[in-house]
Amino acid sequence: MTRPSPFSVRGRRALIVMRDEREISIVRRQLGRLGMTITEHDPAEAPPDEKADVVVIDADSIPIKSDLATARKAGAPIIALIGTETPSRLKWLLDLQPASFLVKPLRSAGLYTALVVAFDSAQRRMDEAAHLERLEDRIRCRRVVFAAVLQIMRAHDLSESDAFRLIRETAMRHRTTIEQLSAEIIAAGGMPNRTSRTA
Amino acid sequence: MMAGEMRKSALMAIDEVNNSDEFDFTFTPHLRDPGGVVAAYHTACDDLIREEQVDHIVGCYTSASRKQVIPIVERTERLLWHPARYEGFESSDNVIYVGAAPNHNVVPLVRHMLDQVSSDVFCIGSNYVWTWETNRVIREIVTSAGGRILAERLLELGEIAVDHIVREIIDRKPPAVFNTLVGESSYVFVRALHEAMIRARLTIPMLSCSLCEPELKLIGPAASVGCITSSAYFESIERPENRTFVARWKARHGADSSPSVDGQSTYVCVMLLARAIRRAGSADVGAVRRAAANHRYDSPQGPVWVDPDNNHCFLTPRLARSVLECQFKIFWEADAPERPDPYLSSLDLTAVGTRLERSNDAKTKRSNHLRIVK
Repeated sequence: MTRPSPFSVRGRRALIVMRDEREISIVRRQLGRLGMTITEHDPAEAPPDEKADVVVIDADSIPIKSDLATARKAGAPIIALIGTETPSRLKWLLDLQPASFLVKPLRSAGLYTALVVAFDSAQRRMDEAAHLERLEDRIRCRRVVFAAVLQIMRAHDLSESDAFRLIRETAMRHRTTIEQLSAEIIAAGGMPNRTSRTA
Repeated sequence: MMAGEMRKSALMAIDEVNNSDEFDFTFTPHLRDPGGVVAAYHTACDDLIREEQVDHIVGCYTSASRKQVIPIVERTERLLWHPARYEGFESSDNVIYVGAAPNHNVVPLVRHMLDQVSSDVFCIGSNYVWTWETNRVIREIVTSAGGRILAERLLELGEIAVDHIVREIIDRKPPAVFNTLVGESSYVFVRALHEAMIRARLTIPMLSCSLCEPELKLIGPAASVGCITSSAYFESIERPENRTFVARWKARHGADSSPSVDGQSTYVCVMLLARAIRRAGSADVGAVRRAAANHRYDSPQGPVWVDPDNNHCFLTPRLARSVLECQFKIFWEADAPERPDPYLSSLDLTAVGTRLERSNDAKTKRSNHLRIVK
């Protein structure tokens, strides 16, 4: 699978959640230059259904503790535009988990960096989440593997390490995971008789 | 050297504007020479705006100096007219970028290299932003077309110890060398490689997207021949506007002197500014910016106009080979001025790859005697 480079932003969709017309026009022009498509959205309204690849949100335009803001948390990476640097406002901003930020007033310089950082950190978050899920899956399967090892030990009168090695090597030959083969061993009551050996 | 070339060109353009009946105003030049010292650009620019009350500043050769000036012109709402080609990824409302953007300059040269020279390349350059970014673009295009970057060697700015790299090139015999060195490093390298190739009876094509005629003279008549070069301007452009420009240049600066791409571009800056002021009826920055947008000027290098989307200019990319007498022979030019794309956001890598496939036969034949690649 080829993953999109964070440096190529052409064709990506941005949702602009801002009020200040001058700043909106700067964002609109700069994202246009970069070949991105833009949807504008009023901060006071519920987030639209359509998917965006990045959300540019003016942190000053949304009241603290607004449900509308928290509703955006799960979705696309957020670039926060910051005017007020008070700790209360920044604390609320941290809750949004922004992928990057820019300090107002905006200039054309800086937006590209903010986008690249946002896309890169969003990709890293996805990679980390996927990695975590794989690890959790393996922990969940530990009991199954343990049961399969016991079964093979009993059926073939093997030591624990020999039984595990047999399962691991069989899994490798069948191009499957130890966890998957263990589940099959338990279901079949012994080493399954696979016909489609690949090695 | 480039700063001097640019100043000479700016003053020539100013004199022409001042002596012309076409303009009912005159320019008063205020000169500052920060001498390439990056921190001095901020002071010089601040001084020009506060003390001399200038609205328009023409200049800056390096990106480092331009980035010193931009915050001041943005804060005080002045315009910087920037003549030099640069690596892109910038678009200030207070800069008019008159030099080539990377799509004018680097991309056509890499395409030509893939089509006609080689898809494998040895890169050598000066260790600063122009080389870093140019090499990134080369790498992206070359690898997406199935080629390889054989090496990426960097020298500090001003470094003239080049022998170890020349030796490496002679040993490895790459099918092409891409040179993004600047200044003295480049001249020394080109001379040393030329001599080493003669000794080793080798011919390795070299590509550059920055060499200009005055630099060929500095390199020397023999070593400067044969470099494939990309530029929006060459002295040899056969357009009436350029023939008369070169004649005026030589009348002013001597028959042996040559205008350079950055010098000509500085001349274009002043002319674009003068024409925008005439059109706006005022030197006011906002009015001039609006008047400059899409206002075509038939310059020495051909039609040029400012794209208001990004404040860069439509320019005609050209490729040439350096020949005897320190001149360039143009062998390709775009059919029409190309829209500037400072962020390379319309660069279609798959299209570049397709181009290479068409020339696959020739490529396979060329490399057959070396090795067979599955």
